[in-house]
Amino acid sequence: MPWYHTLSRKGWIAPHWPKQYGGMGATLNEQIIMTEELARVGAPHLPVQGLNHIGPILMEFATDAQKAQHLPPIIAGTVIWAQGYSEPGAGSDLASLSTRATLDGDQFVVRGQKIWTTWAHHSDWMFALVRTDPQAQPRQAGISFLLIDLHSPGIRIRPIKTIAGDDEFSEVFFDDVIVPAENLVGKLHDGWRIANALLGHERLGTSNPQFALMAIERIKTMARASGIMADPAFQDRLAAASINVTALSALFSHAVELTNNGQSPGPESSVIKIFASELLQALNELLIEAAGGHATTEKPIATDFGEVDVATPFLQARRVTIYGGSSEIQRNVLARRVLNLPN
Amino acid sequence: MDLHLTSEQTLLRDSAAKFVAAAGPKISREFREHDPSFAPARLRQAGDLGWLGILVPGSMDGLGLGLTELALVLEQTGRGLVCEPIGLAAISAAALGQGRTPHPMLERVMTGAALVVPALQESAHGDEPLEPRTQVAGQDGALRLTGRKMFVCADGADGFLVSASGRDGPTLCYVARDAPGCTLSTTQTVEGRKLATLGLADTPADLIPAHSSSRNAVDALHNLALMALSSELLGVMEKAQEITFDYLRLRKQFGKLIGSFQALQHQAVNIYIRIEAARSLVFQIAANNDPYRIDPALAIAAKAKASEEALVVTQACIQLHGAIGFTDEHDIGLYLKRAMLLSSLFGNAAAQRRRYVAIADLTA
Repeated sequence: MPWYHTLSRKGWIAPHWPKQYGGMGATLNEQIIMTEELARVGAPHLPVQGLNHIGPILMEFATDAQKAQHLPPIIAGTVIWAQGYSEPGAGSDLASLSTRATLDGDQFVVRGQKIWTTWAHHSDWMFALVRTDPQAQPRQAGISFLLIDLHSPGIRIRPIKTIAGDDEFSEVFFDDVIVPAENLVGKLHDGWRIANALLGHERLGTSNPQFALMAIERIKTMARASGIMADPAFQDRLAAASINVTALSALFSHAVELTNNGQSPGPESSVIKIFASELLQALNELLIEAAGGHATTEKPIATDFGEVDVATPFLQARRVTIYGGSSEIQRNVLARRVLNLPN
Repeated sequence: MDLHLTSEQTLLRDSAAKFVAAAGPKISREFREHDPSFAPARLRQAGDLGWLGILVPGSMDGLGLGLTELALVLEQTGRGLVCEPIGLAAISAAALGQGRTPHPMLERVMTGAALVVPALQESAHGDEPLEPRTQVAGQDGALRLTGRKMFVCADGADGFLVSASGRDGPTLCYVARDAPGCTLSTTQTVEGRKLATLGLADTPADLIPAHSSSRNAVDALHNLALMALSSELLGVMEKAQEITFDYLRLRKQFGKLIGSFQALQHQAVNIYIRIEAARSLVFQIAANNDPYRIDPALAIAAKAKASEEALVVTQACIQLHGAIGFTDEHDIGLYLKRAMLLSSLFGNAAAQRRRYVAIADLTA
């Protein structure tokens, strides 16, 4: 978090947020320049749930009181957010979620379990999809969007270790947790629509070319150090990958441009999510190929051209085609909602 | 994703789409193996619409527009399998008009009364466009060219823009088809049109000076050619996609529309993603580059991507059609063949990637 606080103090933490909420109101080109500069200096990843996901959603759907309570701490970096969507029985089939929020006077009573919750054990608040009407048909019509203080009594968080060796995500248990009714975002049972708007932002945010640009730098360092950079076959693959990174930057600028023109990133954003995530995996495959015998080294590898982390980013890249809706789900969405192929 | 276009750009695109509606696979078939393989009257019509002078400044009676407008028109000509070499003529006109005084051929090229095309390639693979083996000798006003150019779209051409190495490095020259020492030998392509090898033996030529904003006239024309072909390739794949998706919505097997099968839906989405990525790349570059000073790494990236994806997409479109897609009678094969031709011109995807390594400084 020191990097977050540094950017925050400089007023640079949320270039894409409007100035009235503490952002920079940066133009598209300014955002892209910042992204590329951050990638070049190898800046650490920032926790994105607040900045990219719940922030924009609150601006669009929240009450003034909710905005006043929650937006400034995101900018200041004093509150970390977690996303509570997936459940053990509701992964790709998210609408089948069953964590129950029962309205009782001016409060909800929440009971159930969330899983694959990124950074939950470091987070202060969760924005969650909860079932408020178990009888609703379609099931999507019985879901609400709720802000939950993770320090509330009745919450238990258990970190889950990943193949990349970190405990980036957790499972979160809710045992009759009391949540004030004023923490409902939007209308009761209208959470699915909000979640979908958020999915658009999420797909766009995770597709930021910054990650691919950083991967290219890693590959180049590793390939120079291992000597494979001189191999024309490797050069061809690197050129293909690098051209695809340029294509990703173009897709990203194009999508952001449309968003800036007031169009919410809809199902079209699945295109960039698939392209960016599959490219990131291809880049990491190139990285371990460049590393050769170093591929499995656990710690960053010291080379004449600087330190390179190889195995960890490669393993971490497995998650990108799974989170935020797997590539297969994205393809289903595109086939039906964008290409209008028959059911 | 929709492009964010101005109303003028939308009008231009729509008028190109209208022009193209009168072209299409049927016309394209008629011109297979014809000489020339296009309708000169329709080239003149493109001239009347201003497209051949689209990049030429208004002071020389051109439209004075940019790369986005060029790409919008060529995307449509690609969609329509238009046979008239509108893109090659338009970029040649830009070169003929880039000096302080226009080349005498400019006016006739802009109206479509004459056709000039670039002749920049010298081998099947491994060309370095800025180091042509064709030599230029003599003083301005009495230049002589000796060498050989390959894969020239010489059908119906009255002259060529030839790259050559001279005392001052790569030099762009105009050569008339009927100039002494200029010979053409043609090869029939499977696409229907012919490609030619252009022989030059002490052939008189005119110097084409660089535009004031260009680094070099050969470099500028080559990059422009890469963008023009990439734009046209986009249109080819878009139309092939459209035809294929229509088929998926129509064809029934096992009692169901085949477009409802998830395996085919996911293939369709893969086609769509490839096209969207290539399209964003081409139009972002078009929006951010001066036609006379295109960043060479970006032009190369666009041509590499468009060439590769057009081949992948049009082949996948045939697969999704099944046996009917393999017949000459069905139109979908025409798009594959057009993609083959345009992908190969001025360097295919592999050739572009080889240049990209050096130009984008990847190994440093």
